[in-house]
Order: sequence, then structure tokens, then C-alpha cells
Amino acid sequence: MAFVVPAFTQQSLETNFRTTGAAVTAVFESQRAVIQLSSAVIYNGRNEIAYGTVISADGYVLTKASEVEGVGKIDVRVDKESFKDAKVVMTDTRWDVALLKIDATDLTPVVFAPDSKLPRGTWVVVNGVTSRTNRRVMAGIISADNREILPEGGAVLGVTLKETKKGLAVEEVSKDSGAEKSGLKKGDIITTIDGKPVKEVAALGKLLSKMKSGSDVKVAILRDGKKDELDVKLSARGDIFREATRNDEMSGDFSNRRSGFPRVIQHDILGASITMGGPVLDLEGRAVGMNIARANRAETFAIPVEELRELAEGMIKQVGK
Amino acid sequence: MKKPLAYFLIGAVCLAPLSAFPVNAKKAPESRADLNTMQNALLAAIPKAQAATVCIDLDDGSGSGVIVSEDGLVMTAAHVSTGVGKDVTVIMADGTKLKAETLGLDSETDAALIQITEKLPEGKPFPAVEINKTDDTKLGDWIFSLGHSGGFDKERGAVSRIGRLVRVANTTLQTDGALIGGDSGGPLFDMEGRLIGIHSRVGAVVGVNMHVPVKVFTDNWDRMLKSEFIGEGPFVKKPEIGKGFLGLATKTAKGGIEVTKLGKKSPAEEAGIKEGDLIRTLNGEKLDSRKKLQSILAELAAGDKITFEITRDGKDETINLKLGER
Repeated sequence: MAFVVPAFTQQSLETNFRTTGAAVTAVFESQRAVIQLSSAVIYNGRNEIAYGTVISADGYVLTKASEVEGVGKIDVRVDKESFKDAKVVMTDTRWDVALLKIDATDLTPVVFAPDSKLPRGTWVVVNGVTSRTNRRVMAGIISADNREILPEGGAVLGVTLKETKKGLAVEEVSKDSGAEKSGLKKGDIITTIDGKPVKEVAALGKLLSKMKSGSDVKVAILRDGKKDELDVKLSARGDIFREATRNDEMSGDFSNRRSGFPRVIQHDILGASITMGGPVLDLEGRAVGMNIARANRAETFAIPVEELRELAEGMIKQVGK
Repeated sequence: MKKPLAYFLIGAVCLAPLSAFPVNAKKAPESRADLNTMQNALLAAIPKAQAATVCIDLDDGSGSGVIVSEDGLVMTAAHVSTGVGKDVTVIMADGTKLKAETLGLDSETDAALIQITEKLPEGKPFPAVEINKTDDTKLGDWIFSLGHSGGFDKERGAVSRIGRLVRVANTTLQTDGALIGGDSGGPLFDMEGRLIGIHSRVGAVVGVNMHVPVKVFTDNWDRMLKSEFIGEGPFVKKPEIGKGFLGLATKTAKGGIEVTKLGKKSPAEEAGIKEGDLIRTLNGEKLDSRKKLQSILAELAAGDKITFEITRDGKDETINLKLGER
């Protein structure tokens, strides 16, 4: 894909003055100050694994769940301070959001913007590279209409099945799938989904095609002849059975979970997949959303502020009970 | 006394520099006011640009293009149109699918024109963007890109991205607004919404995105309008003379040649030619033998249009078709 550009009459713009260059991002200093105080950097040991959005003074931080799940020890840095052993206190798989709690008392939570009705071309500002003491920013624009991102390839349990005389037998359980988390095992015979009998792979696929990833289904099984019922969270096919397309190969680094969101805003700021979870600010420094998936080299998704606010308030309320 | 003043003002406006976008005069935006100027420019320009940005549906994928005339002329990349005289489908922003035909292309620089051949309902003019013919774009200018990234998505619409011109060469512009598959052929605009380039290709790094400057198009405009295939690649391979495919077998008969067999899904069959048809002429030349047919075909290439005059069940008919690739 790389062609050589003829050398004559060629001029080149210094990196510093490119869209993500320091000379350009300097103008976003007031938004950077908000990122400095109200975004979090999530670490596993020395590795940055995600960013986060500070939503309360007493230490609640939202981040992208699939980037922090299964990570042994999570440390969080807000502003210049480091907080050891953050706890994942709750997750919302529909939005792929995790609520972290750190031992803090006087954080500066983000201020939510009134809504996410932002026309294409509106400036937005997000986390750029970070150091121990300093957060940088990157800026870009809203690039598409807000909308639902359907699960890539439809919703799946996360198993491969074989049609047998006894019924649909589980041959293999995919790693990180809802099936695995529910405890579904190789050899289990699936008899019904939400009470509807399933005998063929095609019938099961048809049934699931009407459902959404992140929603739960009741799976009745026979294990060693005994009846049992499991709650399985559906995953997006594209997240479980990944087949790299040509565009994926062009995209370099993208989020593992990048589809199956009820609604997103889309912008053109391209951080690495580990930069998800941070706030998306407008020029007023208010959060219009939270980065949730780098879809490919030209598209990044964020949870819109309306839903983000609901998630933040709802999750804090629930863990407070 | 007021009239001369007005006259003077108009004169002054005409003397203003052509690239009127003020932030481009600075090395980088310096203030909130500059950011607002940029945002206001984008908010004003994008809706019109978006309406004119089309998806070009190909058999094995899709690209983008932009309408530049009210009668439906589309600028795109040569590697999207892939040839001269090809039938393609153009998808408008609202999802309306329209028939179109590829016109000429420059295979060396990746420029091509496509003509939408169907009309909009009630003969409405096509939404078109203005081409910046002043050639006044320069290194560091702010730009925005549109395109149907990864294919057409009505709910999403064409994807817009901001960036700067980071490299300028004779036949290539480079920007740091990221492109991906499906964007090829889509439009690159200055901040006033005037077309300055067409997306062509990307480098391995996100910041490397290449576009064909509009000057390449305007320099070759008339030749491309006349459906000329310019250059020898690398973006499109020139159809080879003698490689045109018809897909029928014939025998010499009285008054022409008779069709004895048709290839399944061949261009001949798809054009409606039937076994037993008597072909009398090809492009106006009398066919008195199979050899004559072969000698004419030897001079033609895939994509060339031909006309047969035939006789079927005593009735004369004219059949037009396009040669396939052998």
C-alpha cells in the first residue's frame, strides 16, 4: 500500500505542527487541565492498560471493562497521585464499563455536558500520552451521527456446537465468552434457550440473531443426564470469533470489544486501544462522553453523556446499597 | 455619495487573498477564537459536502466519490472505478441507489470520473460541491476528509475527519486525517468546503494518508470526460487489446454468421443473443465469415462496447454489449 512520493517540489510539515503535534495541542490547555484532574490512568504494574473517567470526589472511576477484566493488580493515577490496588466494584457488560474504587477523598469529578447532540465538525478533546505527572491531550472532531453499534456478526453464546442424537452438544467453549463465564462446559447438551427448545445449530443461530450482545439468556442444559439452567450473557460474534479483515490489518491497534453498544458518539481522534475509558470533552471542558472503543484507524466510539451519566449515577447508587 | 462607496467595497472584496480561511495564516491555532473559527467553518461546510459524498458500490467491495456537477458527474479514484465504460452503482447519502458508468481515468495518478446515468426523482439537480481550481492550497492548511469508511452505513453517514496538509507534491497530497478502506475516491476539502483532492491510499502509519490533488483532474478533464484511459498504471491495469471476451461460437452462414453456442453468463448471452441468431454486422462492418469476426475482435479489449446487427426469426435487431475479460 505504500507508494513512494516523487521527491521533487516536495515539502513536509514538521511533526510538531501536525494535528496531534504539541504546537497544535497547546491551544487546548484549558481542556488539558480538566484531563489532568478528572481523567485517570489505569496501570497493571508499569503498563498503562486503559484510561478512566473520575465520576466522584470519593474515588469512583469508570473505565472500559474488557481492558481491566482479569487483570490481577490494578493501580490508578489521577493527576500526580498514585492509588494502589483499585477494586473493580461493578461492571456493566452491555456498555463494557467497569466501576473502579480508589482510596481517595478529594478528587475532581468530570462535569457532564447537558447533551451529546453534537453536529459533525464539533471539537472534542481526549487523553493523549501521559507521564507520571503530566497528562497530554489530543483533539479532533465529531465525525458521524450518534447511533447504535450492533454486535459484529450478531449475538452468540460463545460455543461451538455439534448436533447429536441427544441434542445440541457443546464441543468447545470460547475464551472470555459469556458461555465460559456462566460455567457452560464441553459435553453439556443445550435443550432450550429462554424456554424455547433448540435442536439444530441453525435454529439456535436464528433465535440469537434477534437478540443483543450483553443481554442475558436462560440456557437449559443436560449435564451427565442432570438438568440445569445457566444465565449466559451474549457476546458479539466479532468479539469472540475474530477474523481479521483487510481494514483490521490496516488499523493496527484496535479495541478487542468494539461492537454491540446501545448508542455511541463517533469521533476521529485515534489513540491506541489502551487510551479508551477516558472522558471526551467539549471546548468548555465538559464531558460529552467517555471513550469506549477504537473501532479502526478512522473511527473511535464513545458512550454519549446522557447514558454515561445514567451509568455513573446508577452504578454508584447500586454499590452504595 | 453612497454608491461609489459600495462600488469600492466590492472592489476590495475582490482584491482579498483567495485563501480566505484565516487560521491557515497561523502556524497553529492560538486561541479559543481560532478554534471557534475552525469549528464554525466545519459546521457550515460539512452538511453540503456530506450530501455530495457518495458510496460507489463495486462487485467486491466499495469506494467513495464526490458529485461535482448538478447533472451527476462524480470524481473518484482510478483504483475505485477500475476501468472505462464499466457499470457501477452509486449510493447517495439517503441510501438511494443510482446506476452510473465509469468515464475516463488516469491510471498513473489514480484519478477517475464517473457519470451517474439515472436521474433523481422529479429531475432534481444533484447536490454538488465546488472544486477549488485556484491551486492555492499550501502546506499546513487545515483540511477535512469525508468518505464511506468500511462501506455504506446510512445510520452513520459519511465519516468526517479533520487534519492538516502535511506533505505536498506534484501529484500527491498527504494529510494526517486518517483514511481506511472504503474511503478511497472520497473527497478532501479545504476549510471553506471546496474540493482540493480525492483519497487515494494510505501508509502503514495512521498519519500517512495520500490524496490526488484536483489539479491532476482538471489537467486531464477533457480526456477523462471523453472516456480515455490515460497512462499505463499502476493504479489500473490497461485492458489488453485482443483480450475482449464475447462468449459465443459461430459458423459461417448465408448473409452473415450463425450463432451455434453461447457461453453461460457470457457477455453475449447476457446481452440477449440466442442460438440460431444470424449476425450480419459488427460495429457496422459486414461479417461474411468467422474469421472476419475474429479479426475485428483481435483489435478490441475488455470493456469495449460493440454493436451487432442480427436477424432472428426473420426480424432484424440491433444488440449492444460490452466485451468481458478473457
